[in-house]
Amino acid sequence: MTAREVIVIAEHLGGELSDITLEMLACARDVARTIGWRVTCLILADDPEPFKALPLASDRILIVKDPVLGSFNPTAYIRVLIHMLKELSPQLILLGNTSVGMDLAGPLSIGLNVPVASGCVAIRAADGGLVVMSRLLGGKLQARTEVLKGTVIALLLPGNYSREVGMRDTLPTAEIRPSPEPLGALPVRFLELVEPKMEDIDVRKAAVLVAAGRGIQSKENLAAVEDLAEALGGAVCSTRPVVDQGWLPRSRQIGRSGMTVKPRLYLALGISGAPEHVEGMKDSELIVAVNTDPDAPIFDVAHYGTTVDLLDLVPVLTERIRNLRGG
Amino acid sequence: MKIAVILRQVPDVVEELVIAESGRSLAEDEVTYITNEADEHALEQALILKARHGAKVSVLSVGGDEARDALATATAKGAEDAILVPMPFENRGDNHHLAALLTPEMKSAGYDLILTGLSAADQRDAGLAGLLAARLFLPYVGGLICVTLDPSGSVATVRKEFPGGRLGVLEVALPAVLGIQSAEQPPRYVPVSKVSQAKKALQPKVLSVPAPSVAGLPIQRLLKPEAAGKAEMVPGDVEQIADWIVRLLRERGIV
Repeated sequence: MTAREVIVIAEHLGGELSDITLEMLACARDVARTIGWRVTCLILADDPEPFKALPLASDRILIVKDPVLGSFNPTAYIRVLIHMLKELSPQLILLGNTSVGMDLAGPLSIGLNVPVASGCVAIRAADGGLVVMSRLLGGKLQARTEVLKGTVIALLLPGNYSREVGMRDTLPTAEIRPSPEPLGALPVRFLELVEPKMEDIDVRKAAVLVAAGRGIQSKENLAAVEDLAEALGGAVCSTRPVVDQGWLPRSRQIGRSGMTVKPRLYLALGISGAPEHVEGMKDSELIVAVNTDPDAPIFDVAHYGTTVDLLDLVPVLTERIRNLRGG
Repeated sequence: MKIAVILRQVPDVVEELVIAESGRSLAEDEVTYITNEADEHALEQALILKARHGAKVSVLSVGGDEARDALATATAKGAEDAILVPMPFENRGDNHHLAALLTPEMKSAGYDLILTGLSAADQRDAGLAGLLAARLFLPYVGGLICVTLDPSGSVATVRKEFPGGRLGVLEVALPAVLGIQSAEQPPRYVPVSKVSQAKKALQPKVLSVPAPSVAGLPIQRLLKPEAAGKAEMVPGDVEQIADWIVRLLRERGIV
């Protein structure tokens, strides 16, 4: 019988492993060391060079090499992964709860006939199986699921394990293989990766960010938020719904598919704190959250919070700051 | 060109979420439903494609009685076909179950494009679109903010979000299933009077197929998250809070 195993499906861009890959390795190591399982980091790439000698916290690095795997093509990934995972037969398959991982989870689940837990924030070994904690309903609730036998695919939410723990001092063994499946004539083709357009300001460079969420209610109310940001010498950014409404350009969106920021001050106005937003701002130096819902998950990451109505607070606060600055 | 859109009724997370006595689900009577936001965007994207290419849009609405209202709104917006997919409370949020339930209908209808939201607020397993694609042996790409079709209607070009605001441009041969994050424009507004009219005229086909035995992982316990940290909540009225924030920012040298 082969050793029990955790497989981390690596994500990478431009020859570098993404942060979520290191976080998944930290999670895998945490699970594996308590019960003596093996950890394999499975990397699909066209060029194995950047990955074959990395000090990752895994027992081995397995690289599948093919020119088609140079950019993310979900159909190519799925073809290779179903073959490899059937062969490796692991107990736990870790994917990122990301743009890449979410494309793979469903087809892998059906192809391998294994269940999926999404939005995972913690996974631990217990009673010969696994206990998985997941966030759902905008991060407001958490679900506990036990997987006592068989294999499970877990989608790990970014930001819950330390990237540093995903590395170690020694090099794991590395093995490079050609694709076990032919990757010609795929129904999906990756054409290009487009870098974000910085049409106006780069929110990643702002020391003070005033962030507007759904609680802002209308585009008209954004003017008051702009005034406050100006008084503070900062910039306005937002959650996805505000951008989706067309009230702010996409370059101002903070979170999973937007920007990651670490300003000195992040003033979160009317933001519920869904995991996909929190991913992009949780490392800010000082987070002050304003939300009328005392159960909003934003208060789990904020340093200070208040439940007053942001529409009442913003003009008063702007005036105070202006007075202070003599404007 | 035939396009199907799947709309799911999900708990409105802006409302208070009450856990049932069993500790394994929400309390059914306490849930306020809304149409899953990303699914609304999928509908909008379908209607944009309809305007550009003359596609026919069918909407499948999943849930209880509230799913009928979503169908009425969708037809008022311009969808042609309305299909109601009744889903008992205990199976909501289980995309493995829903994908298995929808597969025969999707197969027989022969849609060129199936659109739904990338994920649903109440889901605990994989996204519906990827599961459905695998069951139908169709290609799948998700996390999309734009879909365009070539004039022949055989290929879609999609824009997929990657971290850091990057966008991947991919080409997908049709038929395909796509997971929409947001449409090219905000979901359109439709006047209440038009929705009321659509409600009166609505005669949806009701999908009545035996419930599949397929299910995702069961939840053992549903609980409020244990936060690693918790904000220090500052009491007071607006004036007091404003003074307090100014003091804090001065202490930190921010103003």
